[in-house]
Amino acid sequence: MMLRSSSTIAATSVGVCHTQRLWSHSVTLNYRLSQFAGNPLLSNSAFVKWKRNIGSSNKNNRFRMATKALAQPLQNADELIDSVETFIFDCDGVIWKGDSLIEGVPETLDMLRSKGKRLVFVTNNSTKSRKQYGKKFETLGLNVNAEEIFASSFAVAAYLKSIDFPKDKKVYVIGEDGILKELELAGYQYVGGPEDGGKKIELKPGFLMEHDEDVGAVVVGFDRYFNYYKVQYGTLCIRENPGCLFIATNRDAVTHLTDAQEWAGGGSMVGALVGSTQREPLVVGKPSTFMMDYLANEFGISKSQICMVGDRLDTDILFGQNGGCKTLLVLSGVTTLPVLQSPNNSIQPDFYTNKISDFLSLKAAAV
Amino acid sequence: MSSLQSQALSVENFKDVLDSVEAFLFDCDGVIWKGDQLIDAASQTLDMLRHKGKKLVFVTNNSWKSRSQYAEKFKSLGISVSPDEIFSSSFAAAMYLKVNNFPTQNKVYVIGGDGILDELQLAGFTAFGGPGDADKTIDWKQNGFFEHDKSVGAVVVGIDPKINYYKLQYGTLCIRENPGCLFIATNRDAVGHMTPSQEWPGAGCMVAAMCGSTQKEPVVVGKPSTFMMDFLLEKFNLSCSKMCMVGDRLDTDILFGQNAGCKTLLVLSGCTTQSDLQDPSNNIQPDFYASKISDMLDLLGA
Repeated sequence: MMLRSSSTIAATSVGVCHTQRLWSHSVTLNYRLSQFAGNPLLSNSAFVKWKRNIGSSNKNNRFRMATKALAQPLQNADELIDSVETFIFDCDGVIWKGDSLIEGVPETLDMLRSKGKRLVFVTNNSTKSRKQYGKKFETLGLNVNAEEIFASSFAVAAYLKSIDFPKDKKVYVIGEDGILKELELAGYQYVGGPEDGGKKIELKPGFLMEHDEDVGAVVVGFDRYFNYYKVQYGTLCIRENPGCLFIATNRDAVTHLTDAQEWAGGGSMVGALVGSTQREPLVVGKPSTFMMDYLANEFGISKSQICMVGDRLDTDILFGQNGGCKTLLVLSGVTTLPVLQSPNNSIQPDFYTNKISDFLSLKAAAV
Repeated sequence: MSSLQSQALSVENFKDVLDSVEAFLFDCDGVIWKGDQLIDAASQTLDMLRHKGKKLVFVTNNSWKSRSQYAEKFKSLGISVSPDEIFSSSFAAAMYLKVNNFPTQNKVYVIGGDGILDELQLAGFTAFGGPGDADKTIDWKQNGFFEHDKSVGAVVVGIDPKINYYKLQYGTLCIRENPGCLFIATNRDAVGHMTPSQEWPGAGCMVAAMCGSTQKEPVVVGKPSTFMMDFLLEKFNLSCSKMCMVGDRLDTDILFGQNAGCKTLLVLSGCTTQSDLQDPSNNIQPDFYASKISDMLDLLGA
């Protein structure tokens, strides 16, 4: 079985995004350059954001990558299971779809635990706090502790803690309840959140929007109550408060709020703030390795002992590859086999399989 | 593309400009007016240029109003301008569809103001969305299906102070799921001029939000894209070498003029200061700069 050692995609050079290289395929690959200056937890996780610039005459501006091994269908589940200590699972499309549990999940998780494997759940969804996610797991009959869950809402608070964000500074939130709850738990003061969804502005001469000069960070995530007031407030803080941080929970283009269709995701709200501030944010969610570094540090685990299991190539699998761990794509979520095998795709997980309960059925078949 | 340092407009070089230029293109915000107030002696300056037989064209990235609404604004400020002389990005979006033979049986979804809807409808297209979707919400408890019109063949995005999740989702579904659906941006300015006392997020914000959810880049019809320039060059039978673009923004107005190959004059009556212009990190150098357009009047009188 061929295991890829370190990712050929993870680029640590800051200068990479400015170098002209050629792609052989048009890709959905996101490289993200995040300057986590002064944060030892993240100094090795810098990765390059390269936004593909599709101008009208930009067909020649492509990057060429070294050929990588193609994803292998998972055949010997036992071998993979025995080779790692920890499984990191994405949630949407892996554990559940909307509010329905995916077939065979409880038995699979139980089996892994019985083999002494550590289980961690990492989701870019910031609408709930880890505690609220714990409740969702419980409702679905799964035995998972809040401490095993790393939602991007939690990642924001963890990031601020890791850089010693001053407690006398405030955080302006463009996002939902999950972020507010995690900030509160971590002891930070916040302003904004869902209640700013009802704020109206009268755009006429004489109107001046004030903003709190004590805001030291603006956090942007998925927000169903998004409006112009919030964009302006966040923009004023970022542009005018010296040293104000611009943090994004994640940049997923679409999200599966319901299992029936796609919904505009956090990438939309973050895009809006990028458009108005002309600044790029620090991203704490996948594919940024912040959460991976955090939990590796927290639990004392080595990256080579981790397998990342997810349904999205440009967040989950890239997250795993950037982190230097094994990667398994499941086809129970947003990615189909044709998409994985398309010439336009160059993100190749180590393995792919239909759903996580294949760990049980493939194991049985190998006997 | 000149990389020479910009020259201050002077008696001598302005005389050369007047002799060689037949048409002046003006940006509006920060050049003719600021919010709802006319900039000093703008009216007299325009009169002087008309008197000298120069053609005047007004090119604005602000898609909030239609051309005839802009003509009304000029009128309220005491300047007589025909709607035909105004090229707003709202008009540009409609013209882009026309020039590209957008089928009239396809609909257009608008994230923006009435200006865009009006121009689209004037051009014979069926457009919907716009301010009408400002109060639309989604009942999250219902867990229902979000429908969208499968006959939408283009989504046009411009400045929209009434932006909300409903619009983002509607536009996203059209672009991602309707085969061949166009994604058109009126412009990508980061800043919009909504009140005189401070800056506000511009169309660049709404457009980037849509880029974030669709992972597609739009066709941009406003400055600095040359679409409007190509359109008006043909319409008025003008030649670039005999034109001068006058604006207050380096990365839209001046770049627009340079991309087309015409002369460029930066005025400091809007959002760009002399130190912005002369900052070493700036590499957009207009041919000339002046404090405001009425400097042209003063230099002539000198």
